[in-house]
Amino acid sequence: MTGPNSPSRTGTSPAKLSRHGRSKSTSSHCLLRCSTQEESSASPANNSSRSPGEEEEKDGGVLFYVNRTGFPIESVTWERMWSHVAAVHPEGQEMVDRIRNAAYLPKHPVPSVPTFKPSMSVPDWLVAIQNYMKALQYNHTGTQFFEIKKSRPLCGLMETAREMIRESLPIKCLEAVILGIYLTNGLTSLERFPISFKTQFSGHCFHHVVLGVYCNGRYGSLGMSRRQDLMDKPLTHRTLGELVAEFESSYKRYQHTLKKVKIGLYVPHDPHVFQPIEWKHLVLNAARLGAQEMRKELEKHGRDMRMKILKSSSAQSPIKERSRGKSLSPRRRQSSPQRRFTHRRDKSPASVERKPPELSTLNDGYQIRI
Amino acid sequence: MEPACRKDKPKLNSTPTRGDRARQKSAQQELKQRQRAEIYALNKVMTELEQQQFDAFCKQMQSQGE
Repeated sequence: MTGPNSPSRTGTSPAKLSRHGRSKSTSSHCLLRCSTQEESSASPANNSSRSPGEEEEKDGGVLFYVNRTGFPIESVTWERMWSHVAAVHPEGQEMVDRIRNAAYLPKHPVPSVPTFKPSMSVPDWLVAIQNYMKALQYNHTGTQFFEIKKSRPLCGLMETAREMIRESLPIKCLEAVILGIYLTNGLTSLERFPISFKTQFSGHCFHHVVLGVYCNGRYGSLGMSRRQDLMDKPLTHRTLGELVAEFESSYKRYQHTLKKVKIGLYVPHDPHVFQPIEWKHLVLNAARLGAQEMRKELEKHGRDMRMKILKSSSAQSPIKERSRGKSLSPRRRQSSPQRRFTHRRDKSPASVERKPPELSTLNDGYQIRI
Repeated sequence: MEPACRKDKPKLNSTPTRGDRARQKSAQQELKQRQRAEIYALNKVMTELEQQQFDAFCKQMQSQGE
């Protein structure tokens, strides 16, 4: 889908125009100019945890809107959604009128919320959850229906997950992570943690997030994406490095170069916890680290998570130690600061492949979005 | 005041009645259902568009490669 960049798309007031992808604003209508996957919009004033340099990086040139006012969707948001699709679809207003003026539209069935049975294995439960999310469908409308503020307390995000189930509408990747957390709450043998990706395609940056899962020595993921191989992965990967490598390999099929990977911490199972999700405890600059070094860091982080020696900066609960296998990681008492591996020099020959600039001119500037 | 007068006294309270609230709720539900139907119809169209563009892009890349 080509992203509309005409001036008419910037119809909202400058105060609401944001290029950042994070949903931290309380404003009702935000025109967001950002990379596809970074969900929701924000006004700069409310976005205190964003680093100054990230705003420009996230600008992938594709617009999406966010519904901030609940359901039924109010008319301003509703009309904006239709204006947007009329601008991007080749049939434009004709397509819009066909749907809006239809006397009868088929009722999309409301998928049944999966219910966990004690006889189900963890992999089966994950498949049930993923199937449920797929039944909701990936949201291609250009308007995100559920506002996700990543800095919100977990209990608040779980309320949004309940709303997603209640309203039963298409979702995108960040919403899928929240929903995945909600539906796996209570399955204490399964650990969940966010995995965020920043990739580059044809000179633009794209962001994506999935819910990493760990159970009984194996890693996998849940999520939603435009691409089937960039969402759920089975619980078969022996290490976190292997899982991330699998994603990197999938990205390559779409000519996306992995730039950064951010791994969060395990999300507590208690849905009433007030602390926010830790989204990026480990940040790896894939462009600068060699593949081996990345794997090493990921493996270390995985071990540390399993040993429960990592603590979120906002965590309230004490660190629980588990004597489970051997770990070469040093013991840590306090919360480890967010580890960023951005300044290590990659001594190997240039690992960043530069795509020929003409990619962006192919097919009227179409970009393979994730 | 005579009981008859009290009966004739106009009701000044403007708060919505239970019936009004029920009707409003029903109207909201209908609107939500209609919006949901339109959203999924739209999503179908936009999903197809994305797939078409992706396929065309892949074909173009292939022919460029050749």
